[in-house]
Amino acid sequence: MAHDRVPGDEERHTGSLVTNRVLLTLLVAALLGVVLLPFASMAPNRLMSGQAVGVTAAMLSWQWLALAGLAGILTACALSRPFPARLARWLTLTAAPLWLLLALYGLGDYASRALQDASPAARVSQGAAFWILVFCPILMIIDAFQRLGSSLAVRGLYSVVLVVLVGAMFAGDTFDALSIMREYANNKGTFTAEFLAHLRLVGLALGPALLMGLPLGLLARRHPTARGPLFGALNFFQTIPSIALFALLVAPLSALGEALPWLKAIGVGGIGAAPAVIALIMYSLLPVVRNTYAGFAGVPATTIEAARGMGMTSRQILWKIEVPLALPVILSGLRIVTVQAIGLTVVAALIGAGGLGAFIFQGLGQYAIDLVLLGAVPTIALAVVADFLLQILVALSKPAGMR
Amino acid sequence: MIELQGLTKIYGDKTVVDDVSLRVDSGEFGVLIGPSGCGKSTTLRMINRLIPASRGRILLGEDDITRLPVEQLRRRIGYAIQSIGLFPHWSVAKNIAVVPGLLKWPKSRIDERVDELMGLFHLDAGELRDKYPHQLSGGQAQRVGVARALAADPEVLLMDEPFGAVDPLTREVLQDELLRVHRHTRKTIIFVTHDMDEALKLASRIALLNAGRLVQYDRPIELLTRPANDFVRSFIGKADLGLKLLSRRWVHQYQQPATLRGASDESVRISGYAWEVDKEGRPVCLHGGRLHAEDTQERTGVTPEWSATPDMTMKEALSRMVWFRVMVLPVLDSEGRLVGEVTMHGVMGQQPCA
Amino acid sequence: MRVATVKHPIPFRDWLLVALSVLLVTLTLFMARLEPLFQALFPDVSNPVYRRESFLQLTLDHLLLVLVSSLISVSVGVGAGLFVTRRGGREFEPMVSSMAAIGQTFPPAAVLAIVVPLAGFGFVPTVVALTLYGLLPVIQNTIAGLNTVPPATLEAARGIGMTQGQILRRVELPIAMRVIIAGVRVSVIINIGTATIGATVGAQSLGTPIIAGLVGNNIAYVIQGALLVGLLAIVSDLLFERLERRFTFGA
Repeated sequence: MAHDRVPGDEERHTGSLVTNRVLLTLLVAALLGVVLLPFASMAPNRLMSGQAVGVTAAMLSWQWLALAGLAGILTACALSRPFPARLARWLTLTAAPLWLLLALYGLGDYASRALQDASPAARVSQGAAFWILVFCPILMIIDAFQRLGSSLAVRGLYSVVLVVLVGAMFAGDTFDALSIMREYANNKGTFTAEFLAHLRLVGLALGPALLMGLPLGLLARRHPTARGPLFGALNFFQTIPSIALFALLVAPLSALGEALPWLKAIGVGGIGAAPAVIALIMYSLLPVVRNTYAGFAGVPATTIEAARGMGMTSRQILWKIEVPLALPVILSGLRIVTVQAIGLTVVAALIGAGGLGAFIFQGLGQYAIDLVLLGAVPTIALAVVADFLLQILVALSKPAGMR
Repeated sequence: MIELQGLTKIYGDKTVVDDVSLRVDSGEFGVLIGPSGCGKSTTLRMINRLIPASRGRILLGEDDITRLPVEQLRRRIGYAIQSIGLFPHWSVAKNIAVVPGLLKWPKSRIDERVDELMGLFHLDAGELRDKYPHQLSGGQAQRVGVARALAADPEVLLMDEPFGAVDPLTREVLQDELLRVHRHTRKTIIFVTHDMDEALKLASRIALLNAGRLVQYDRPIELLTRPANDFVRSFIGKADLGLKLLSRRWVHQYQQPATLRGASDESVRISGYAWEVDKEGRPVCLHGGRLHAEDTQERTGVTPEWSATPDMTMKEALSRMVWFRVMVLPVLDSEGRLVGEVTMHGVMGQQPCA
Repeated sequence: MRVATVKHPIPFRDWLLVALSVLLVTLTLFMARLEPLFQALFPDVSNPVYRRESFLQLTLDHLLLVLVSSLISVSVGVGAGLFVTRRGGREFEPMVSSMAAIGQTFPPAAVLAIVVPLAGFGFVPTVVALTLYGLLPVIQNTIAGLNTVPPATLEAARGIGMTQGQILRRVELPIAMRVIIAGVRVSVIINIGTATIGATVGAQSLGTPIIAGLVGNNIAYVIQGALLVGLLAIVSDLLFERLERRFTFGA
């Protein structure tokens, strides 16, 4: 999404039949996946592994025929005839999401049909071919947008429409029979609580990290001698594996909690949110400080000299010149830490801090795969959405003259 | 007026500017020149206190600059550097309006001033006001830079190689414009460059620095005709010294009364050439005047390319003579009337009044 | 002291690397000898040192996970990066770059969890997850590194008659190497961390005592595992930093 170069401009000059090899490759990958891998699996209960079901067996004939028809249209889009390049891309942007929605609907529909006359404990889960049928159209959409060179606004609007459509399927009863959704239904209350706990941990880490990181980044810019030790120390923390840092904080904090009962009263003890938040802050500091430093260092020296020469005070230079010019880089740092913190918070569940990771590790402990996915899939979705939103914020923060 | 008194800058044990004293009077165009590392930029930046002086004094008018609050001082002094000094996140108008804004001028006055300056620099306000620096050509960006420096009507304008990053053609146009603006505003300008041709073209006084010391501070013509030592001579360059000299001399200094063609061809026979003039006094053509005396019957038609004006440099006049292979060039006034002539002999022989 | 006798003072980071390496090896081999120390620190636990498996074995298992996955990621990742920067693969570059960028927003722990239903529990799914995740920074940095080669340099190389292979080996790869190694460094460091979490899906590693300690409420086990894996990551990071410095060419 961040790459706006259009690769295919020479394609008009070549006389070959295939004009979009990326699209064709994705189609071949999807075809191979559908032929070789199971689309869904059906198990007698939530803990046993299921029996593989192929696409044609799982889907009604109109469904997989429509899927094949869409594949045919997309194949034509990858060729030099019959569609002109621009039309082919917009056609891809229409056919690929239809394919995606059809794959989603097909799975849900199969689950509800298969479970109609099965035992109540029976479960239907998604298979590898399903994931391929979901990811391939998403990549096709990204490719089409890259070739069109569309603005972030157009991409954003398109994504919102697509997310709303998929969301509507979730809100309706399309997937209710699916195993992962049954896990969700069984854990509805806990899911909301853990989801909010996840967000709260991320927020508790990012706030202090920004409050400390922004001044530290500016300090690194103003005092070159502070730069080496500061970045060295922060990189040191960044290098320690998350689980180790979480774990190493458990012991001193539990000792602290024992020694100072009032700390324990506000929740600082060995296990729980306190070591997680402290570790998350330590991890978040490096990207914040590094990007703040890089943002300020990226303001051309001549621009600052001109500002001084004009008679601006240091405060005016900071707020009118340096901050506006450094802001996009600083916000890129925020984007990195947000995505990173969402991911690291998963691990925090191991030391009892809660969050969506709790489902993952609980599921792994019980060998309940769909409970694992109930934790993993929303986490990934959360990270991707946060990344996309912050990417838009970064683009908006670029001063008008520099976009 | 700017006066430097024993100005010195020392970094560690390295003396970058060493006891420089000079004075640029009001309305003068002073140029600091020298090889790279000679301390010319450092000297310039000590004037608006971007760099503190180690020793010595700088007077701006009556005031010692260290007595003024530094921001106020800088707002009284325009400062123009290479185009990258424009603020990339602000429009052209906002860039020009910086210092008036800092001085809290009312908005209507700022807008007026921006339009006035854009007009002065031939920048189309309608088209360029709301453009951003990266959308400008090199020449336009440079004009905006100088306009910005002049915005608050400063007493002095400091310029640090402002035309260093533009192509030679644009640079020439910008130099002409700067001279025009200087004549128009009579600002005191201190200009840093390493290009001797640029210095000779712009300066009313040139300060040549070497290794932090002031080697010679003189009018350009003195620098050319009376170099203080071998360093000055070698820095000016021997190869085209004659041409450089002519670049500081003007046609009106060499101009002689024109030899008009009478009723007979007598004048042509005597001097080898004569001008034919119409009723309004505009020259039509030249009889003779070619390299070989026997070509007295040749005629050369007067065109804008083959003619001179009194304020043209002699270097250019000579170039036109050489190009058209004629020994004499008509000098025209603004109406196109013949007011005199310059000749190859005149260029070679005459010692002009400076 | 005369300055002239000091030739090349060994930088602080090299001292640190040596000291931490020695500490890592010593702790790996002789953790059990520290039993009295842990007993004193945690008087309530009956078995203050993890003994179900030797720490040497755990470290080797951990290294095996990281080495196998990193070898695959580096060869596939550099290969993919090379492919999309050649004429024939240019068309795939934006797509591959996007995939690498988006893929890295996926939390490593979630990727590990997602692989389990597809590949089961144990060593294999952990290696698959580590490989997939480790691929992304390598691809991204290979592309970035090769794109830093100035076009004028490439033109000069062609101009003096180098073949495509010679240009790649003698010009492009040496110039891109520092950035590529930086990508491998990120990949390996992440993988050392994720291999720790691999203990939760049944891959034996230094994460095993940590998880055992967290489950069994034995903080001594947690500290032993965390200390070793932290040291392992920092030593690896310092090693890669040294390696990167060899390719900076005075920059």
